[in-house]
Amino acid sequence: MKIKLIFLIFIAFYLTILVRLFFLQVVSSPLNMSAYLKTNKLYPIRGRIFDQKNQSLVLNQNSYQLYIEPKKVEDKDRLLLTLSQSLEVEEASISAKLDMSKDWVAISKGLTQEQKDKIDKLNLKGIGFDYETKRFYPEASLSAHVLGFLGKDDQGEDVGHLGLEGFYDRDLKGLPGFVETERDILGRPILIGVQQRVEPEDGRDLILTIDKNVQEISKKRLLEGMDKYKAKKGCVITADPKTMAILSLVCLPDYDLEKYYLFDENFYRNLAISDLYEPGSVFKPLVVAAALEEKKIKPDDTYNETGQVAVGEYNIKTWNDKYEGKISMTRILEKSSNVGMVYIGEKLGNNKIYSYLEKFRFGQNTNIDLEGEASGYLKPQNGWYPIDYATVTFGQGIAVTPIQLIRAFASIINGGYLMKPYIVQKIVSENRTTEIKPKVEKRIFSQMTSDVIRKMLVSTVENAEAKWDRPKGFSIGGKTGTAQVAIKGHYDASKTIASFIGFAPADNPKFLTFVVLYEPQTSIWGSETAAPLFFEIAKDLIVYYNISPKQ
Amino acid sequence: MKNIFLKTAGFIMAGLIMANLFVVISGIVISDEINNFEKKTDSLHKLNLTLEKEVANLGSLKFAQEQAKEFGFTNSTAPQYIDQLKYAYR
Repeated sequence: MKIKLIFLIFIAFYLTILVRLFFLQVVSSPLNMSAYLKTNKLYPIRGRIFDQKNQSLVLNQNSYQLYIEPKKVEDKDRLLLTLSQSLEVEEASISAKLDMSKDWVAISKGLTQEQKDKIDKLNLKGIGFDYETKRFYPEASLSAHVLGFLGKDDQGEDVGHLGLEGFYDRDLKGLPGFVETERDILGRPILIGVQQRVEPEDGRDLILTIDKNVQEISKKRLLEGMDKYKAKKGCVITADPKTMAILSLVCLPDYDLEKYYLFDENFYRNLAISDLYEPGSVFKPLVVAAALEEKKIKPDDTYNETGQVAVGEYNIKTWNDKYEGKISMTRILEKSSNVGMVYIGEKLGNNKIYSYLEKFRFGQNTNIDLEGEASGYLKPQNGWYPIDYATVTFGQGIAVTPIQLIRAFASIINGGYLMKPYIVQKIVSENRTTEIKPKVEKRIFSQMTSDVIRKMLVSTVENAEAKWDRPKGFSIGGKTGTAQVAIKGHYDASKTIASFIGFAPADNPKFLTFVVLYEPQTSIWGSETAAPLFFEIAKDLIVYYNISPKQ
Repeated sequence: MKNIFLKTAGFIMAGLIMANLFVVISGIVISDEINNFEKKTDSLHKLNLTLEKEVANLGSLKFAQEQAKEFGFTNSTAPQYIDQLKYAYR
């Protein structure tokens, strides 16, 4: 009888367990699923960015979000006081966020590991940290416009904006994975339960053509130059003219990459790729090279520069309204003669002028691998008047971006090849390295034309009207430019964009540097502002590249 | 006969209970180890990022400038030209 009773008790006990299990696993299964089946999204690590010598420009670092669970807080006043001291923020601003009726309140984002450790040691009740990563810039804002920044989209997900972060967002971002595990009440994995893990694919690293030392030289000199010549804005681009690999690209003013949200959107614009301007005299060598290529002129041909030239109802004059009589084609470049350029333009012919503008691909994107490029606009040839053909020979009446101009200029000194400018030379993933090779888009000039124009540009530097403090013993070629700024359909004589484009060493250029200063105040002329700044940069680069003087 | 059957059943039950206990305890031990390894991997990952940051800071131009200033380096160091040796001997 007793055994039967014990047997019945056991049966009842097991039945109770069975009913409870049935209830948990079948009846209320979906509700309880989350209690033991834990699915976590595994975030990939965003790709890093390095310069050409594998020096870090962008890395990831640990970051924490501090939150408070108000219902677990024991002493609110002490908590506020301690946090305000640790975070170095006003107590009132934490208090304003702290809604005691809520379960969870975010207090501060972007805390460093050190800050988190410091707060952890205080053993405060009711606080916690969420882990995240954020971008870290070892060289601060050295390459702000090149790199771009990491912001958030509508869903709060990280998304790259502008520069490389924007252009290569999909490569840098990687692919998320997930982990699904059954856990017991203590959070330990249940070994016989579901264990599924799909690893995330980390973002790809980018190796740039940028040399951070050249970048530093450019930025330092540009800052000094803007201060000295009281310019509003400025850009320096340095490229390898043979490949159009960008060695440095700096525009000022720039912004703090870590606190980009404190800056106005205008600071984000990379002038080097998005700002259209009339280039002025730096454009002249392009037209001269076209005329040489078409065999319409030779460097020693002469032109009789007697005075102003009338084109329709307009009179074209030299910058100082002085005329030298018989001058060579080289001298036209040396003294930057507008009337001489009109003569060369006439020799070349209107159709050829327009066809070379198309060959240089003005009005089209260069497709440089940076987000935010502007293409500009080359109006159709049927909309061109005779005055347009005349003024374009000295760089007025056409709008280009600095990157378009330096690319076109590179083509006249590198043997005639129009190259695609690029900044990323390698994309490195876990299993693969993709190399990006220089790309020839078109050959425009012969080697002969290129050699001749290089010599003419060396002569332009050596015999220019202005005398510069040039590095002695080195052959440097280049050209100044002063473009007036068009405001409401008229040119304002007091506002100019001063520029200089130059290369060294002239016989086998190692670098090509374009300097642009917007509205310099000490002098409106490129020869007195952008040119000296170029030579300061050139001196540093000659030392950096260990270029030896000529015999 | 009945005795033998009961004893055998008892031994089997005891064995099963022991085996069950062993499996449960082993499971808990292994789960704890998995948990620990997850935490260690996580902290190693964080340490890795911290070290990477420190290495990058040490290789930065900012740090180089600070060091150069501290050791009194100037920019007066002349380049040496290996192409044109006459300049190197000047």
